[in-house]
Amino acid sequence: MSSKDVIRAAVLDDPQSHEDVHVHAIYDKIATHFSSTRYKPWPIVAQFLSGLPTGWIGLDSGTGNGKYLPLPYDRPGSVLTIGLDRSRNLLHIARTAGQNPSPTREVVWGDVLGNGWRSGAFDYAISIATIHHLASYERRQIAVERLLECVSPSHGRILIYVWAIEQDQLSKRNVPLDHEALSESTEPIVGQDVFVPWAMTPQNVKAKITSNSKLQAGSSDSSDGPETCPPPVYNRYYHMFAKGELTMLVRDAAKALKIEVGVPEEYTEPGTRGITVTQDGWERSNYYVELRCWEI
Amino acid sequence: MVRLITHNLLACHVKGCTTNNFPLQFQDVQIELQEAEFNPDFVRNLLPRLEWGALVDAAKQVGDTSLPPEQPEMTDDDVLQKLHHVLLEIHITEGAMVCSNCKHIYPISNGIPNMLLSEHEIG
Repeated sequence: MSSKDVIRAAVLDDPQSHEDVHVHAIYDKIATHFSSTRYKPWPIVAQFLSGLPTGWIGLDSGTGNGKYLPLPYDRPGSVLTIGLDRSRNLLHIARTAGQNPSPTREVVWGDVLGNGWRSGAFDYAISIATIHHLASYERRQIAVERLLECVSPSHGRILIYVWAIEQDQLSKRNVPLDHEALSESTEPIVGQDVFVPWAMTPQNVKAKITSNSKLQAGSSDSSDGPETCPPPVYNRYYHMFAKGELTMLVRDAAKALKIEVGVPEEYTEPGTRGITVTQDGWERSNYYVELRCWEI
Repeated sequence: MVRLITHNLLACHVKGCTTNNFPLQFQDVQIELQEAEFNPDFVRNLLPRLEWGALVDAAKQVGDTSLPPEQPEMTDDDVLQKLHHVLLEIHITEGAMVCSNCKHIYPISNGIPNMLLSEHEIG
């Protein structure tokens, strides 16, 4: 099996411990290597950030190495995005994200299930490739609720990206699909829990071992050198979303917060809070949804 | 980093702590001044969404008394410059933020605030 293959997984322990072991601990270990492979903004995210009015403040929930914090490139400094992540090592990288010399970015160490913001404080929120790391439907729904709660009820905008079961032909990943389950029916919509291996490149491992052996002076043995050591592989947990699952999650989150899903013209009662789904699509092996808040 | 713009958005989220949980109070802070590019339109447009009183208080706690106690109606360049400095150029690098209500301490280290809660504190 190639290290690019995806392995089927089941969440057997409680979701929080599962995420601690199979998501948080791994990102802290692979932070530097991971970050070196994640520098290109996805076009739809870049477009979303380019369309924001000057003076808006937003949250990047699960910012990773902070690659979206410097955007939009055509109007740098016109909006301010604050990056939140569970991995402290990734946040250290996110702090100086962008081309050199880069202004210091705002980053916060926290959980996407936390609610450490005054309600409705942000104008926009993005959550890119993050919610799929949460190990139960309930937890994924809470993560979406947190996004809805932290943006302005009258004008907030939200963009969410998650990994899809339906993979791009050009994708490097080989996913073992349960074709029977997929073709049986569209209800209920259930994604798939998997482990996605992260293989450290030999170069990266060598650097790490060399620096370690420097610390343990005299203990190095040439026969036990880094070349003979296979690079470690870390299995990250993902929930791959099925078609329609992200939209369902958004609807359930909105319902839990008594937020309508639709256009304001359909409602008459003053004080009604709602969201309009302005984009709902699939791109490059991911599902995404864009939401706009309204209040009447 | 924790700048005052971020502080103006953060609130305590310990389980059951829902009143007087904003703003957090700075404690034993170390600050660093870093010049940032002035964008008057950015500052002017974000003004309506600030909690002015909380900002003035927080600025005082880090030693800056340049802001008037009431939000000025006129946003001339002088006011915008002062706001720009207070919001974007003062970096809190070490210390903590404490909730006035439940006294929970959110540490700040290397410019990164720790908003994580332990399992029994999560709402």
